[in-house]
Amino acid sequence: MNESQNPRFEFRIFGNHLEQIEQKIRQMAGEEMVRSMMSVYLLASGNPDNNIKIREGVMDIKVLEDEQHGLEQWNPFLVGSFPLEAEVIKTVIFPALGVQHPAFDRSTYSLEQFINEVICVDPDLTVAYVNKKRHGFLIDNVITEIAEIKVNGASLKTICIESEDPGKVIKLKKVLGIDPSAENVNYPLALKRVMGLVSLPDEWKSENF
Amino acid sequence: MAKEKLTIGEISKPRFEFRTFGRDFDEAAYLMSRLSVPVPQKVWERTSEEFYIVSKTNDINNTKIRDGKMDIKTFVQEIDGLEQWNPLMKAEFPISAEVLKNEVYPAFMVDVPDFDKETYTYDEFMEMIKNNPDLQAVKVEKQRFGYMVNDTICEVANVWINGAAVVTVNSESTEIDDIKKTISDLKLDGVENINYLQAIKRIIGWNDKPLAN
Repeated sequence: MNESQNPRFEFRIFGNHLEQIEQKIRQMAGEEMVRSMMSVYLLASGNPDNNIKIREGVMDIKVLEDEQHGLEQWNPFLVGSFPLEAEVIKTVIFPALGVQHPAFDRSTYSLEQFINEVICVDPDLTVAYVNKKRHGFLIDNVITEIAEIKVNGASLKTICIESEDPGKVIKLKKVLGIDPSAENVNYPLALKRVMGLVSLPDEWKSENF
Repeated sequence: MAKEKLTIGEISKPRFEFRTFGRDFDEAAYLMSRLSVPVPQKVWERTSEEFYIVSKTNDINNTKIRDGKMDIKTFVQEIDGLEQWNPLMKAEFPISAEVLKNEVYPAFMVDVPDFDKETYTYDEFMEMIKNNPDLQAVKVEKQRFGYMVNDTICEVANVWINGAAVVTVNSESTEIDDIKKTISDLKLDGVENINYLQAIKRIIGWNDKPLAN
């Protein structure tokens, strides 16, 4: 895959009925890779601009840098591997979550300690366990992904188009027949909707998405 | 004592229920469809959209709202892993503050708020739920396929909980032995009995236990 270091512009949708778009993607390109992974997302209801997750014991935070033409540009930075120092949790993670940090009883936290003793006891925070099976494609040098995900055991699909060039994303959206007015839904928003931290759109009907 | 003949869609004595949730019950669904006696066409496929009101402090009252009507069931007992629930109250919006204060909020087992109106519309009630951190209104969309196996009312259903998909299968009857036989016939022996409240709480992250598969 084309792995550039520059933050890419991204359009993503979630639903249970994305077969038509998926079919078009598969007609246009061969599957380049399949990856399965488990990620733990940390969610706070009032925090729209950070995507905070732990995968294979490593925490990273993506910050929403820019929005153009309905596309989002996320800039990732690596927080580090567990065990993490309380000072890092206090000065990096909690500011990113946008909630007040607690008092810390330990100087360092394992992942389990962090989840059980820091996150789960905070009424403003919640955890989503997300299993992903990600199918990667490259269409005209634009990274495209179809993924089957399970959020705390419940199923969703997501399709993502991303490129450093927002024009290429918009063009591929059109080619794939995605409604120009379709909402761009990032992972934190989709997860917050499933977990009830954010309401589903009023017109939501699962049979249509 | 003679068994009560169950009829789908009709009121019976309180029934015991086995229900579980996961993502793959293809085999149980197939067996259910093959073992079922013919059922009325009206239950072949039913769709509905409901809101369940879940409470962080309560697992024994099940509150749902469908078509502007509130329905609360309360847990009665569990025998051999099967659960029996009884209707606790039914009400239609607008609902009086008196009913909310004396029946609905006690069922949620959270602090009763101050009511400054005599009656509350559906929208006003949902706003109160939204403002209480111990309560959540969860959107539940169902596509239910009804069957009758071993004289038990059965269904397999696609369910979307806040938009995320799961599958549920169930068997319910006044007769415990009939449900047990059905569980066995559907090859669901040993599968955890998970009711709607528990499934919802697991998916929205209020309980970290997994679904059945």
